Amino acid sequence: RERHRAKRRDGDREKKKRRKGRRRRASRAGEREDELQARHEKREAGRRKRAKNYQESEGRERDEEEQAQIKTGKTAKTKKNIKNEKTRKVEQEEGEAEERNAKGKKKHGSAKKEEKDEDGGKCAAKEKTQEVKKKKHKRKGADTLNSLSPEELEKLKEAVDERKKLIQGLRGKPWSMKKKLVTLRESQEFVEKYEGALGKGKGRKLYAYKVMMAKKWMKFQRDFENFKTACIPWEMKIKEIESHFGSSVASYFIFLRWMYGINMILFGLTFGLVMVPEALMGRPYGSIPRKTVPRAEEASAMDFAVLWDFGGYAQYSVLFYGYYNNQRAIGWLKFRMPLSYFLVGVGTVAYSYMVVIRTMARNANESGVGDDNSFNFSWKTFTSWDYLIGNPETADNKFASITTSFKEAILEEQESRKDDNIHLTRFLRVLANFLVLCCLAGSGYLIYFVVRRSQKFALDGLDTHTWWERNEVNMVMSLLGMFCPMLFDVISALENYHPRVALQWQLGRIFALFLGNLYTFIIALMDEINLKREEEKIVKFNITTWEASLYNSTVSENSTGPPITIQPADVPRGPCWETMVGQEFVRLIISDTMTTYITLLIGDFLRAVLVRFLNYCWCWDLEAGFPSYSEFDVSGNVLGLIFNQGMIWMGAFYAPCLPALNVLRLHVSMYLQCWAVMCCNVPQERVFKASGSNNFYMAMLLVILFLSTLPAIYTIVTIPPSFDCGPFSGKKRMFDVIQETLESDFPAWFSKVFSSASNPGLVLPFILLMVLAIYYLQSTSKSYKEANVELKKKLQTQNEENKKKNKRAALKAQMDLEEARKAASQTADSSQRLYHGKNRRNPPAPVREQGLPATRAPVPRNYHHGNHGAPGYLPGFPRQSEPRMHRVPSLQRH
Amino acid sequence: MFVVTSAASAAAALPSPNFLGNRMVSPAIALAFLPLLLTLIIRYRFYFVLFYRAVLVRSWKDCVTGLSREERAYQYVLTHAIPGDPDSILEAFDIWCSKVEFISNIGPKKGKILDRLLMEQSPLTVLELGAHCGYSTVRIARALPLGARLYSIEMDQRNAAIAEKIIRLAGFDDDTVELIVNPSDEVIPRLRSDYGLERLDFVFMDHWKKCYAPDLQMLEGSGLLGKGSMIVADNVLFPGAPKFLRHIRKSGLYEWKVHRATLEYSKGIRDGMAELVYLGIK
Repeated sequence: RERHRAKRRDGDREKKKRRKGRRRRASRAGEREDELQARHEKREAGRRKRAKNYQESEGRERDEEEQAQIKTGKTAKTKKNIKNEKTRKVEQEEGEAEERNAKGKKKHGSAKKEEKDEDGGKCAAKEKTQEVKKKKHKRKGADTLNSLSPEELEKLKEAVDERKKLIQGLRGKPWSMKKKLVTLRESQEFVEKYEGALGKGKGRKLYAYKVMMAKKWMKFQRDFENFKTACIPWEMKIKEIESHFGSSVASYFIFLRWMYGINMILFGLTFGLVMVPEALMGRPYGSIPRKTVPRAEEASAMDFAVLWDFGGYAQYSVLFYGYYNNQRAIGWLKFRMPLSYFLVGVGTVAYSYMVVIRTMARNANESGVGDDNSFNFSWKTFTSWDYLIGNPETADNKFASITTSFKEAILEEQESRKDDNIHLTRFLRVLANFLVLCCLAGSGYLIYFVVRRSQKFALDGLDTHTWWERNEVNMVMSLLGMFCPMLFDVISALENYHPRVALQWQLGRIFALFLGNLYTFIIALMDEINLKREEEKIVKFNITTWEASLYNSTVSENSTGPPITIQPADVPRGPCWETMVGQEFVRLIISDTMTTYITLLIGDFLRAVLVRFLNYCWCWDLEAGFPSYSEFDVSGNVLGLIFNQGMIWMGAFYAPCLPALNVLRLHVSMYLQCWAVMCCNVPQERVFKASGSNNFYMAMLLVILFLSTLPAIYTIVTIPPSFDCGPFSGKKRMFDVIQETLESDFPAWFSKVFSSASNPGLVLPFILLMVLAIYYLQSTSKSYKEANVELKKKLQTQNEENKKKNKRAALKAQMDLEEARKAASQTADSSQRLYHGKNRRNPPAPVREQGLPATRAPVPRNYHHGNHGAPGYLPGFPRQSEPRMHRVPSLQRH
Repeated sequence: MFVVTSAASAAAALPSPNFLGNRMVSPAIALAFLPLLLTLIIRYRFYFVLFYRAVLVRSWKDCVTGLSREERAYQYVLTHAIPGDPDSILEAFDIWCSKVEFISNIGPKKGKILDRLLMEQSPLTVLELGAHCGYSTVRIARALPLGARLYSIEMDQRNAAIAEKIIRLAGFDDDTVELIVNPSDEVIPRLRSDYGLERLDFVFMDHWKKCYAPDLQMLEGSGLLGKGSMIVADNVLFPGAPKFLRHIRKSGLYEWKVHRATLEYSKGIRDGMAELVYLGIK
């Protein structure tokens, strides 16, 4: 018996049975002392429950009928303990047994219960004794711990461990949910009760305390996690959008939020370390020429149009490069302004690189499982639903899209076998790419043309031209950036890709377009920089002559008088190209933002309003038919965001206000786009999951980051700064500021160390080492990947093997069963046995069916299985032997 | 063009007094709108084709021949189809509508769905709203079981005359098909009294899309619909009957679904045919 019990203890799924069995056993044996403490407790709990029931039922026994009373007792109990269904059943049966009073005794109930049944009159007294006992037991549960012997403690510990194990593995058990819940609750209670008792002597209290604290700590952690999620900005908004539009749209908003975070940090850096110190501690406005509006512009410096173009007072402020002075240290803090400016410029870029690469690496880890197309349909069946959808309309759309994707996948499968349409598809894809290339070339040429024209205008002087002509470049770039993606979208319908692939193609194309536009713009800027530098040379020469003449005149007129004070506004100055570049970028950002918002308002909002309200008086259904509501354009929006960021990175060095502007823009567009999506867009017709596309965005962001830092670094390194504006004026190159700081602010040995460290003899080996390390890491990661793939393959083959084995076993069992049935029918109808036996050796099946009406039904089915399963086991194949037929019935009996 | 106008209004505040003068928008900006134009043309090409075929070609032919579109269709069918054979008549119609001109019949694709529904239902009393020139009437009558009767309502006198000829040409007599020349909203209330109808097993709607909802409500009110009566409405997505769809969605009287298909004789325009089963008032 002991062995039996141990076995049962191991098998958790036998628990119910065990309980029942124990009860039975207990009725036979009474309370045995060699029972485990755990068992004690458990039985005790069960008994208590039963006793409670009895109290109720007995109380009503006098005035009510037996059956009804049992029922009420049952209902009362359901409220009290959902736990013990089993006991309830037992209870009911016992109730019946009370009437019949014979069978039930044998079957269930402990010894006490039997007693109770027997002398029904004294039940009240019995009840009391039972209650007393119960109390005793309870006390025992709490107090007897002190008096437990080491063996008992050991056993208790074992039981607790067992329960813990049970709780851990509960999720994987093949039970019904109800049973799982019941078991879980019981085990948890048990563990909670006895876990504290396991320590020894004085350590026990400490242990209990520790357990309690651990629990509290867990709870605190959970609460803190909740709090943290509640603190994520716009989380609810994004979740709502996700539930309406699926995760692809939500991924855009998550990206936007991420971008916002990065821009906040960039903004903090530039604002805290550059703009604020200069505004607070630098020389005030009007003190030196570079901080003053020139005399010629003074009249119009406050006009809105000028300010809107970031001229006038906006140009001569901390917002732009030219305002900063080249004083080495400013204010009482001795703040190294030029150094700080340079380091912030470098730091923002470095930080951006770090963040983007780190995020990419993390994403790559998350999506580590490779996409293999080997189980296309299984993937589709089990993974295509987007569980974040909470909106019936979107769910409908998703349902439809899954159905269509299945249809398409089946068609694809057929077509890939047929293989006749592939040429057409290829041709169409090539054609689509050709068209897109044409479109790209056209837009590039248009921008080139416009830029050339604007240079001509600039030579003529801007005042002779209209607003349209002056803003032509920005307008054309914005319009092309808006309309060309639409055209690409239409063209990509030719290609017939899966929407996720199509989205990537679309992104790539728009990327190319934007990149082309951006680089055309940069090239135009470079031309302009060169123009300005030539102008600067002339101005420099003029200034020297002007100064000379000034001094000459003062010297000649009154040599003894005080030097004439010249208003800083009157001093001639050079065309500060850095400020010009900054202005261009700020204008571009502004016009881009405006275009985005206007498109949003007109393309989405106005269209939605028109569709909604004109639908009452229109001759066709506007909502379902022709204009309809717009869909949210994920690819276009993502790329707009990325390029916007690229422009920020490019221009932030020359216009420190750019991160601030961008933060503003992102903040506004977060709210505006959330509103627009929820109010005027409809879910995409083909909702698809955005898994894995995040890294694609990141990769594009990295490329853009690289491409946008290139021109910035180029200008910083190669072009000397203007002579009379900006923090680096008077230096040969901008990065000379570092050398200067090293020489004057650090001790001599430091600069020596630095110079010796920067000599090629040390740098080259270091770089070599780094390259080697990278190579090593990459090769190891590659080998890991290969190992992963190998393991996966192994798993697959193993699975297949198992499947085959199972199939074979099942088939065999089936055959055996069939034979057994036949044998049974044979024994039943012995007169036909001979005939049957003859038939079995002859293949033709219909004859057999005729002969055996009893087994007719299962036979065709078995045929079917046999045909599909192993071809060796064909139904008519003479393979069976006489002994097997005899063996089978015993199998059936099992 | 909205962008331009709004930007122009914004620019009006700027100091450029003569910007409305000689050159308002530079050619480069106008060229930047070319992709938009192309996009619109490509995306809505089917609608343009439909407009061309259903409006331009029709009015041109009307002017040239002096006949109405339906009469031209009848002439073609008369010369190209075998009398007494509904299939060949339908085929002739299909060819004419897809190759020559456009008439919004139910078309072969959606017609197959209609045929299937009729086969499954095998109704004895059928009401058709909007016979037009008899294509759908022939289609329904062809699929009816023996002894069934089809009431077809057409508002327009000339169309009704042609529909009558087509129906007779297909070989259906007065016992099978009865053509009622009157607006549907006048006929439906009088169906019970004038035509002695007790119950409609099947209703097919293909008349004015705006009349779908009121006619359906009228049918509900007349008490002709019994439990299990089927109502099929064509063109509920394009040109579309939003009120009708809203009504069936909200009333809860029907078990309904929309068969998605394309517009008849056109590939790219999506359309749907609504199939309703009357559940009765609970």
